[in-house]
Amino acid sequence: MPIKLKLLLLAVLFAGLQGIAQDKLNIKFGKVSPEDFDLSKHSFDTGASAVIIADIGNTAFEGNNKGSLSLLFKRFERIKILTKDAFEAANQSIIVYNDGYSEEKLLDLKASTYNLENGKVVETKLDDKSIFTDKITKYESRKKFTLPGVKAGSIIEISYSVRSDFYRHLRAWNFQGEYPCFWSEYEVTIPPFYHYVALNQGDQNFSISTSKQVGANYTLREPGGTGRDDIVNFNGTATASRWVMKDVPALKQEPYTTTLRNHISRIEFQLHYFQFDETSERHDYMGNWFIASEKLLDNENFGKALDEDNHWMSEDLRSITSGCKSSLEKMKKIYAYVRDNFTCTDHDALYTDNSLKTAFKKKNGNVAEINLLLTAMLRHEKIEADPIVLSTRDNGYASETYPLMERFNYVICAAKDSDRTYYLDASEPLLGFDHLPVDCYNGMARMINKEKPYVKYFDSDSLKEQKMTQVLIINDEKGHSVGSFQSLLGYDESYDLRERIRKKSTGAIFSDIQTNFGSDVKIENTAIDSLNKLEEPIKISYDFTLKNEGDEMIYFNPMMSEGYKDNPFKSAVRKYPVEMPYCMDELYTFSMEIPNGYTVEEVPKSARVALNENQGMFEYLVQKSDDKVMMRSRIRLNKAYFPPEEYNSLRDFFGYIVKKQSEQVVLKKKK
Amino acid sequence: MIKNLIIFLFFSVSIMRLYAGNGDYAVSNIPAALLKNANVVKRMEEIKFEIVDIGKAKEYYKYAITILNENGDKAAKFYESYDKLRSIESIDAVLYDGNGKKIKSLKKSDIEDLSGTSQESLIESERIKFHDFYYKVYPYTVEYEVAIKFNYTMFFPIWEPQDKEHLSVEESKMTVICPQDYKLRYKAFNFSKQPLEASQKSALSYTWEIANLPAIESEYASPDWYELVPTVMLGPNEFQVEGYKGTMDTWKDFGKFIYSLKVGRDELPDDIKQKVHQMTDGLSDQKQKVSRLYEFLQQNTRYVSVQLGIGGWQPFDAKYVASKKYGDCKALTNYMYSLLKEAGIKSCYTLIRAGQNASSIVSDFPSQQFNHVILCVPLSKDSIWLECTSQSLPAGYLSGFTANRYALMIDESGGTLVRTPKYGLKENLQERKIVGAINDEGDLSSTVKTKYKAIQQDELESMINYLSKDKIMEQLKKEIDLPTYDVVKFDYKEEKDVSPPVIDETLELTASNYAQVSGRRLFVNPNILNKTYRKLKEDPDRKYGIELTLEYRDIDTVELNIPSGYKAESIPPDIKYETKFGKYTSTTKVTDDKIIYVRQNEKYSGNFPASDYPELAKYYEQLYKADRSKVVLVKKE
Repeated sequence: MPIKLKLLLLAVLFAGLQGIAQDKLNIKFGKVSPEDFDLSKHSFDTGASAVIIADIGNTAFEGNNKGSLSLLFKRFERIKILTKDAFEAANQSIIVYNDGYSEEKLLDLKASTYNLENGKVVETKLDDKSIFTDKITKYESRKKFTLPGVKAGSIIEISYSVRSDFYRHLRAWNFQGEYPCFWSEYEVTIPPFYHYVALNQGDQNFSISTSKQVGANYTLREPGGTGRDDIVNFNGTATASRWVMKDVPALKQEPYTTTLRNHISRIEFQLHYFQFDETSERHDYMGNWFIASEKLLDNENFGKALDEDNHWMSEDLRSITSGCKSSLEKMKKIYAYVRDNFTCTDHDALYTDNSLKTAFKKKNGNVAEINLLLTAMLRHEKIEADPIVLSTRDNGYASETYPLMERFNYVICAAKDSDRTYYLDASEPLLGFDHLPVDCYNGMARMINKEKPYVKYFDSDSLKEQKMTQVLIINDEKGHSVGSFQSLLGYDESYDLRERIRKKSTGAIFSDIQTNFGSDVKIENTAIDSLNKLEEPIKISYDFTLKNEGDEMIYFNPMMSEGYKDNPFKSAVRKYPVEMPYCMDELYTFSMEIPNGYTVEEVPKSARVALNENQGMFEYLVQKSDDKVMMRSRIRLNKAYFPPEEYNSLRDFFGYIVKKQSEQVVLKKKK
Repeated sequence: MIKNLIIFLFFSVSIMRLYAGNGDYAVSNIPAALLKNANVVKRMEEIKFEIVDIGKAKEYYKYAITILNENGDKAAKFYESYDKLRSIESIDAVLYDGNGKKIKSLKKSDIEDLSGTSQESLIESERIKFHDFYYKVYPYTVEYEVAIKFNYTMFFPIWEPQDKEHLSVEESKMTVICPQDYKLRYKAFNFSKQPLEASQKSALSYTWEIANLPAIESEYASPDWYELVPTVMLGPNEFQVEGYKGTMDTWKDFGKFIYSLKVGRDELPDDIKQKVHQMTDGLSDQKQKVSRLYEFLQQNTRYVSVQLGIGGWQPFDAKYVASKKYGDCKALTNYMYSLLKEAGIKSCYTLIRAGQNASSIVSDFPSQQFNHVILCVPLSKDSIWLECTSQSLPAGYLSGFTANRYALMIDESGGTLVRTPKYGLKENLQERKIVGAINDEGDLSSTVKTKYKAIQQDELESMINYLSKDKIMEQLKKEIDLPTYDVVKFDYKEEKDVSPPVIDETLELTASNYAQVSGRRLFVNPNILNKTYRKLKEDPDRKYGIELTLEYRDIDTVELNIPSGYKAESIPPDIKYETKFGKYTSTTKVTDDKIIYVRQNEKYSGNFPASDYPELAKYYEQLYKADRSKVVLVKKE
């Protein structure tokens, strides 16, 4: 899995790049001239509905009254609205957090709209009364406003600061977004005792990337209560780093993308360590995987309860595992118990909100609570089990090098029995033992244990989705064409079907199939196998009778309704990779006795094509004899991840499949 | 004080009677008939709504529902909204297992407090209390008991024990308590019994009760939900909200109240006044003046939802819109009203229930049934309707969003229920001509010219007016139902001065492998772009009548050149279906070098009995098939 995370250590940057000439954008809030409305000297995607003329951010540290440092983030943005569908760019929402003690505060918000009227710039200011606060949760509020006087052609400006007590969360910066951007700039100024790692991703290059030393003065004040305030003053130098990207194209969502977050040009920061000066002790924040793993295991909201004796679960476990003859059987029983009795309230959680005991009592919890509880229950029964942390596909890639826990959003369980490891997720009611949701197949995951927090890869390239379908048509004694249909679905498709059946019913599924055939075909003897054996794929089957109207010619597609009718890749170009959830392998076979009184006039030609030599193949084989037509179609992809340069061949490959699978067999009445 | 005490006693007696205690919720007590087809069984429900005085009301409700399977889980979630005028006094809840044994009670800290501001809105004053036991050992029962206080009497609850499909009801009851002299209004659907009336000194009470309703399932094109299940609507008589008083027993009076909310909010700033005169003083025709001012509105404002003020009912004043250049439907309509007023033209603020498939207003029961505001300009001959949140619709045209329904037109003398214009078979026209060619690989190249009229142009109208060229192309490349195709060029012309409006579209379209090639044969479906999709499942137990609403007419002509050296082996027969649901004809001809295909599809509206369902299903299937039949061409040897 190509994780493009270039690493820049700020300290190194500072040494290497000092002294490079600066290139500043001469732009200021409120200073909009008629010429600024003319974008003709810029080259950008003319179809865009808005352009970001400038987006400039800056983060610096400052001393506060709580005896520590705060972060002051300043942002200025100038946007030109080109068409009405970009009016939403005038609806702004700024999120501020608090955790009861530390908080973020929005300061100095100003915003204006500029319209060009008779050659003059007319400014309409946002008034304070039109800024609303929408409290989303206890911890999160949104300051919401919309700019007044916006039309197609308006320029809008927004400028604000956020003062944050969360000094470890140095804000990330997106250089790329929904609209093209002429100038995107971010500067951070960091005191020498904080050491951050900067992670930079995306395929756009910096136009400017500099670093220099600047004078810095921080005054930290700690209220002394009745006594005197404690004041610490730091005077010295800080490192100011600055990055600029120019003419950044917009990024658009296309099918088969895990998340745009993986592809957007962005820089983010992680606090590595704190060290006041060379002689003082170094406080490591980020650590390495061993330290991170240990910390997690020690964390009240993660692993702390795993090693406790957890006697509160003993009685229930006794009845859950009663009669079990082996530890594998126990493992399966416990897994099924958690899966069937607990509701997952949030599938996006690395930490527990409640203790495992509370979750156990409430019979619900987030995914971390559920799978950690599963781990604890297995351990209680002396089964070797460890949590695994991962980042789901829609959450983006996690970093393999650094233990950046913020990037993880999911917990599963790895359980061992006689040298075989089983990967378990009890948060999905329809998932089978030793199966994971497709969304977990996102590359790197980490086992969390004391001895060896090793890397485990769940690659979509390794996940196979095999489907086998068979159609057999014969002539019955009355001369009617009667057929049988049988399909062994892939595991993921089985999962989807189980969900559909749960929402509707088995009857409704076959009623849909009948409706699809129309009244000319009658289906009967319908059956679904393994619906409740969640470990197994589903097999679906039915018989059908075809009406023969005695036509001179009979035309039919041997794929029945199983063929691809659409190319899943509609877009002519693709800027980032195709990330399918798994490698597909679909086999379809068809065999038909020629109806009495007919002969075969024509059958499609056989064909076999490969995708980029060995990445996949499609074969379509037809055979006919005097009384039979047989065909076989197979689509197999050997991987799920296709870089942009392989997009065209992938698109053509599916284009060919669509074409081939629409071909017809022609039968003619015997004279 | 005494009055309150009496009502209090009154209350507590019935609560005690209700409190049946644990064990009653055992699933084994549910009659078998109520389990059939059900995901959820409402075991009991008691609603008590008390009109304390003209400005205050209270609601107490308690219900217990048994969730039989996963599909019922949604019903177990609890939501209740509150705002400045509506406070939630208490929420209690208990979870029971299938045997009716209590598992646990709700803890206050388990209740989540959520923002009520929807995605589309900038801000709304409403907030939401949310709770869920997240239980999943089926069956289980949740019981909620809630008390709410209202500082207004404008909105009354509705009694609809069976508010969703796959839900059966063991028993449900609603009691309304009001002062002796209060004239309570109510209207019942599918419920023939009169409420039980009781008089208690200074208070009157009305009680509706129902038991044993089996679960029902909604069906294709079935009537509005309230026409299917027992429902009682309540309506206030005299009411009050934030110091505004009104009565609602007639549409006229309700209109008066709405008028009072907006009166005096039409003052324009001087510069806008001047602009109005500049734009209209020179025009003699009223219609022209309206169009000119409507254009001005469209060019200078935009829609932003800000739901504040008198329960979201009072429009922001004209000055607000003039300075901010945005507003919600009320504010923009009021602004347009003010512009017209300045030009000496009278117009009416009009309430409506908007939505393509909105259920209809109960016209003989004046009450708050609306969700949108538009403007009506009554002129000597006809009226000009204006949708003030649109930046592109021509003056006088209401799209499918508000056409053909009741609306409450308001002026100083009150409200009048009127109907908005209907666009029917004649207006909702789509006329298309495709001229193109197929080569022997099956590739199609074509020019597609289409005229869309009235409701048929609605979607396109917003696409071409709101999206950038780029996004239009993106849409076009995504939304046409062809396997592999490309839109090479597109062009749109709007005819806004005709009524109803027309859009002319020209597409240059190519589709590779449009026709299937199998050996010597080419299979061509001459219906390239207008296939019907609807297929109905067999349903011998269809219960409800069929309501078909939209009427339209499509005419398609296709002329396709075919490669030389081919002759027709099979041509779809000419088709003519005439039914009460619509009329469909298609003809296909193949000449030496051409396929010529003509299709006409008319869809009628109307209400039909359930017994017509098989016929409708058959008709749809016939169209589905006819639209997919192919011309087979074979290479001459």
